Amino acid sequence: MSGGPPKALQSTGPHSLRDLPHPLAGSSSEEAVGGDSTPSPDLLMARSFGDKDLILPNGGTPAGTSSPASSSSLLNRLQLDDDIDGETRDLFVTVDDPKKHVCTMETYITYRITTKSTRVEFDLPEYSVRRRYQDFDWLRNKLEESQPTHLIPPLPEKFVVKGVVDRFSEEFVETRRKALDKFLKRITDHPVLSFNEHFNVFLTAKDLNAYKKQGMALLTRVGESVKHVTGGYKLRSRPLEFAAIGEYLDTFALKLGTIDRIAQRIIKEEIEYLVELREYGPVYSTWSALEGELAEPLEGVSACIGNCSTALEELTDDMTEDFLPVLREYILYSDSMKVPADVEKCQDRMECFNADLKADMERWQNNKRQDFRQLLMGMADKNIQYYEKCLMAWESIIPLLQEKQEAK
Amino acid sequence: MEQASPDLERILQPAPVEPLGHHDAGLETAVGEEAEGVRDDERPGDGTMTENNFWLKKIEISVSEAEKRTGRNAMNMQETYTAYLIETRSVEHIDGQSVLTDSLWRRYSEFELLRNYLLVYYPHIVVPPLPEKRAEFVWHKLSADNMDPDFVERRRIGLENFLLRVASHPILCRDKIFYLFLTQEGNWKETVNETGFQLKADSRLKALNATFRVKNPDKRFTELKHYSDELQSVISHLLRVRARVADRLYGVYKVHGNYGRVFSEWSAIEKEMGDGLQSAGHHMDVYASSIDDILEDEEHYADQLKEYLFYAEALRAVCRKHELMQYDLEMAAQDLASKKQQCEELATGTVRTFSLKGMTTKLFGQETPEQREARIKVLEEQISEGEQQLKSKNLEGREFVKNAWADIERFKEQKNHDLKEALISYAVMQISMCKKGIQVWTNAKECFSKM
Repeated sequence: MSGGPPKALQSTGPHSLRDLPHPLAGSSSEEAVGGDSTPSPDLLMARSFGDKDLILPNGGTPAGTSSPASSSSLLNRLQLDDDIDGETRDLFVTVDDPKKHVCTMETYITYRITTKSTRVEFDLPEYSVRRRYQDFDWLRNKLEESQPTHLIPPLPEKFVVKGVVDRFSEEFVETRRKALDKFLKRITDHPVLSFNEHFNVFLTAKDLNAYKKQGMALLTRVGESVKHVTGGYKLRSRPLEFAAIGEYLDTFALKLGTIDRIAQRIIKEEIEYLVELREYGPVYSTWSALEGELAEPLEGVSACIGNCSTALEELTDDMTEDFLPVLREYILYSDSMKVPADVEKCQDRMECFNADLKADMERWQNNKRQDFRQLLMGMADKNIQYYEKCLMAWESIIPLLQEKQEAK
Repeated sequence: MEQASPDLERILQPAPVEPLGHHDAGLETAVGEEAEGVRDDERPGDGTMTENNFWLKKIEISVSEAEKRTGRNAMNMQETYTAYLIETRSVEHIDGQSVLTDSLWRRYSEFELLRNYLLVYYPHIVVPPLPEKRAEFVWHKLSADNMDPDFVERRRIGLENFLLRVASHPILCRDKIFYLFLTQEGNWKETVNETGFQLKADSRLKALNATFRVKNPDKRFTELKHYSDELQSVISHLLRVRARVADRLYGVYKVHGNYGRVFSEWSAIEKEMGDGLQSAGHHMDVYASSIDDILEDEEHYADQLKEYLFYAEALRAVCRKHELMQYDLEMAAQDLASKKQQCEELATGTVRTFSLKGMTTKLFGQETPEQREARIKVLEEQISEGEQQLKSKNLEGREFVKNAWADIERFKEQKNHDLKEALISYAVMQISMCKKGIQVWTNAKECFSKM
């Protein structure tokens, strides 16, 4: 819905680590799945592509911001932290600052990955590296290979049809950035995956490609056979216990699909409503030109309707950009857990696999609950804000309409 | 519900002794006299009367019920129509109690008859319009059926509004036929028709002709005509777009109802999330169903606009009457001038203008002096008559302009007041809608927070 040609990205130099804030203090718009609901100037940074001053942090809102959206999403994140069963967080990862790189062979986008940790596995307390999608894809494969008994979070769609979607449009890049951020955060939250050595390298290595080549030859064949054996031990081939989960996931995905369709339909209806409003408001202006005493009141009503139209446009934009992508990503996520395979079962491994998968499912359920709480609360918030804007517009016009009455 | 005037009580003075035939002679002047007598003193809402009035009576008028009836029409075919109950109450001065004095049933066609009568007998007045005959500017939910209860209800209110407007008009309220409309159920139609008002009505063709050929209409009327054309156009446009806006808004709200169902289904497979989802779904249902009342209220706003859409037509009718009178005057003056010229030619013997007599004279020989004398005499009589007529037409014309313009000023004030009120009530409706929206989504958000 953002009109106009997609904005191109600019390249800038490396950033100083000191400029980067502590994630908890800042990244409200990053972690709040409900998304950037308030267009206050402080929160614009999520969409900034290098034009902005480096001092403006990527998640930039200090906790004391008065805007209701950010304080509520702050609250949500604090709840998130409380839910992690007394674990104290000692690893924070953020994805931001997309940059376009133009080389002779290809053009691609990199994202800055910022890591802060007190864990001994990390030599330094802070890291900042640049990674491209390929690198994420590599990481995921490595995790699947090396942690076959665990559920690995999904990545956003790998392939985009060129010509249909602009890989470099602001919208697309932002959507992808959020998804990649989510991906890394899910790994970060996982008590086992977060300690994976590949993950560590991904977060810290200056030259990831060298490491990739190094590891490739050795692990390839082993990896494949392990995958071959264990790939089937995802949910599908599990007996009764997991059959229930499979059923659940089926219905869950169905319901999400329905919600997606409803949300799309609502946006469509809202856009059509907006089109009519945009014609409706100006007619009052035309009328106002004919009148004497009524000219101001009519003009006022026209302006009021114009303001409501703008508020509605903001609502539909927000829903399209923040709500729908997150919903769809969850559909993908639950789909990705249903990997069908027929493989020979290896009896002695079964116990181990069961426990891991079960633990992961529980974690997944928990995260799902929080994610949806945030998503739906965000949706409610956006609608509340829309109505508040309209309310303000109409309330402000009442004195104007009543004015001359008393003067008479 | 918008009323014509803030208070329901009106002062109604039935024209006491005048026979209906009185209407035939010099309409405008007779009415003008009456109007002159009370104009300065009487305003809507004002209780005082001058010494010209015989009784001081406060009256309440209401169209309280609508009923479906079947009957036989003029062609003896069965038809269904709606009848409306009109109740008139007089309010006793002392204790403010109201007593039902008259109550009768009328159908829409009788209202039309009344209005057409008023149009003919008070051409200098901006006669209040009737509510629409058929539902127009509908959006998909409303049916365009005249028997639809919502339409009937809104029409009932519109008819009541019409009666109140007539009753609160300083001149129209005194009309006997109007009085009888409220009080004499049987035979009223015959009584109206006996006034012969249909014969007095100006033919459409005549009016159209005048509009095109009038040379010197009063500029104010020309401007007013343009204004009423543009007002009609802009309000029509506004009503059309508003109907589409209503349609779309309906769609937005109703689709949210689907959330109710899917949240309910989803909650069935969830453990901790279930309750929150379920109750949020309920709020989505509430949201979806709230639009019906909201749009019902907005229809009243649309009706207020429609009244002024139809008032534009009434304005135009007054302008047309002026053009007609002015044209009539111009024609009479032209006719007089030509007769004078003929007379002069006959007297002096010069023939400048073409005349049949001139032709026949050329063909058949000149007429005798006696014949010529006779013709001159006839012409002189005609000229004298013509001059009298021209004088009275002039007077009529000026009276008309004066009285019409006075009513137009009254109308302008009424329009500005009413439309401002309408805009305020529209803004209040929007505010209420926004507050409801905030309430529902806040409730839903709370449910989500408990997931």
